[in-house]
Amino acid sequence: MQAIKVEDLSKTFRIKRKEKGMRGSVKAIFHPQTEEIHAVNGVSFAVEEGEMLAFIGPNGAGKSTTIKMLTGILYPDGGRVEVLGIDPTKKRRQLAYRIGTVFGQKEQLWTHLTPYDNFRFFGAIYDLSERETEARIAELAERFELGGFIDTPVRNLSLGQRIRCEIVVSLIHRPMVLFLDEPTIGLDPVVKENIRELIRQMNREEHTTIFLTSHDVGDIEKLCRRIIIVNDGQIVLDDSVEHLKSHYSEHSLEDIIVEIYKSQEEN
Amino acid sequence: MLTAVKNQMRVCLLSIKYNMMREMVNKVTFLTNVGFMVLNNASFLVQWAILFRLRGDVGGYTFREIMLLWGLVAASFGLSHILFARVFSLSDLIIGGKLDAYLVQPKNVLASVLTSATDVSAIGDFLYGMGLGLICSRGVGGFFLYLLFTVTGAVVFTAFALLLGSLSFWFVRMDMLQSQMVMGIVSFGTYPDGIFKGVSRFLLYFVIPVGMAVWQPVHLLVSFDAGMFFTVTGYAAFLVVAAVAVFYRGLRRYASGNLMEARM
Repeated sequence: MQAIKVEDLSKTFRIKRKEKGMRGSVKAIFHPQTEEIHAVNGVSFAVEEGEMLAFIGPNGAGKSTTIKMLTGILYPDGGRVEVLGIDPTKKRRQLAYRIGTVFGQKEQLWTHLTPYDNFRFFGAIYDLSERETEARIAELAERFELGGFIDTPVRNLSLGQRIRCEIVVSLIHRPMVLFLDEPTIGLDPVVKENIRELIRQMNREEHTTIFLTSHDVGDIEKLCRRIIIVNDGQIVLDDSVEHLKSHYSEHSLEDIIVEIYKSQEEN
Repeated sequence: MLTAVKNQMRVCLLSIKYNMMREMVNKVTFLTNVGFMVLNNASFLVQWAILFRLRGDVGGYTFREIMLLWGLVAASFGLSHILFARVFSLSDLIIGGKLDAYLVQPKNVLASVLTSATDVSAIGDFLYGMGLGLICSRGVGGFFLYLLFTVTGAVVFTAFALLLGSLSFWFVRMDMLQSQMVMGIVSFGTYPDGIFKGVSRFLLYFVIPVGMAVWQPVHLLVSFDAGMFFTVTGYAAFLVVAAVAVFYRGLRRYASGNLMEARM
């Protein structure tokens, strides 16, 4: 069964443009100029339940915009989206009970609270009873090895510990689909590997569908079986990681991805 | 439906509790902020006391009515900033693309945003307002009416800020206009309405809602009138409906963003 179904999805932003300097600023008041940016332009794909998909592309390719439309943060300008059979534009809250999100660049945690208090707060957000929340915290704390710092204010944690807590927060309600937007950004190699193992384990044990964007080839190689590359808001490649590597057997996955990015730039 | 409302209330109360806990981390700063806000407000009443020694009334107000005016402005402003401080920086959230964290939660996005911050110095405003209310209200019934108008005033403050802040979905730099207009309620609301005539009076009733937030409630505390009472409460309800409608209409235009940020 398909966890995510996207058909002809598009999103356009209107960006203000102004000429340089003070003169440009004054001119922009009387003659404002705008430019349309097609962040996502006719994207279609599907993701099966339990699949681990890498959705990658260079900066500004439309990855985050796509994730934000899939999670109900942004309204698409065109096309259709269904996540777990739910249209995010119409039933955002209903969908939110069944998905989890980790934005590596944006923290959801309250930094003055301990991870434990944060987990209890998010348990309330997802309408879990006290008993359910406590049981889930105990389970995830053991799996993610949070015991040593679960009662330390978040602001005193290392980046790796924080990201582990961010992932736990996103899992507190047992989501069926997890959206990870650069979850390992800024982490050292050992912590990265630790996080990847936890994601793998979660996918294996809870059959969670993983939708990952990352610039780290290690994340893609070690987690995902399928890769979609986007550029200028359009899909330029949708293939299995294994097939891609066998097709370009003499190159590393990183080299292959860089080549694809470069060839797109030239086009 | 009832369960959903109950759960939403539970999250909002938790959010307010955690905001308070954050502000109380530094006890000295917390107490100093609250204490100095009370003193700051009290200093203005000294000026009025001196003025009333020279004149019998100002703009048709007695000293007691001026105290009610100050009390109601401070209590309403305080209550709004204690519970819904985030609404006063809504423009920043919209323009900076900081609504994402609320939009991925299965809760009412507006309620979650509004209760996500508190302003600690507003506790001083609120306590000061309550103190003046206790001193100047006539009997228990008068104080309950004062409490009710504190709530309607806080509703008007919040809804007006929400309405203006939500315009940031369409226009940039609405934060300045929002801040000036909201502070306009405080600035003009602490003077008797009798000194404003013609266009300025019209503007202070129909553009900046000082009339319905402060002046008419004070008139009602002095001399109750059922028709005006329903006008004041009805206006507050209308402003809420209008502000919420504009916010959700604008939310469809929300453009998010990719700034690095942390929830502090």
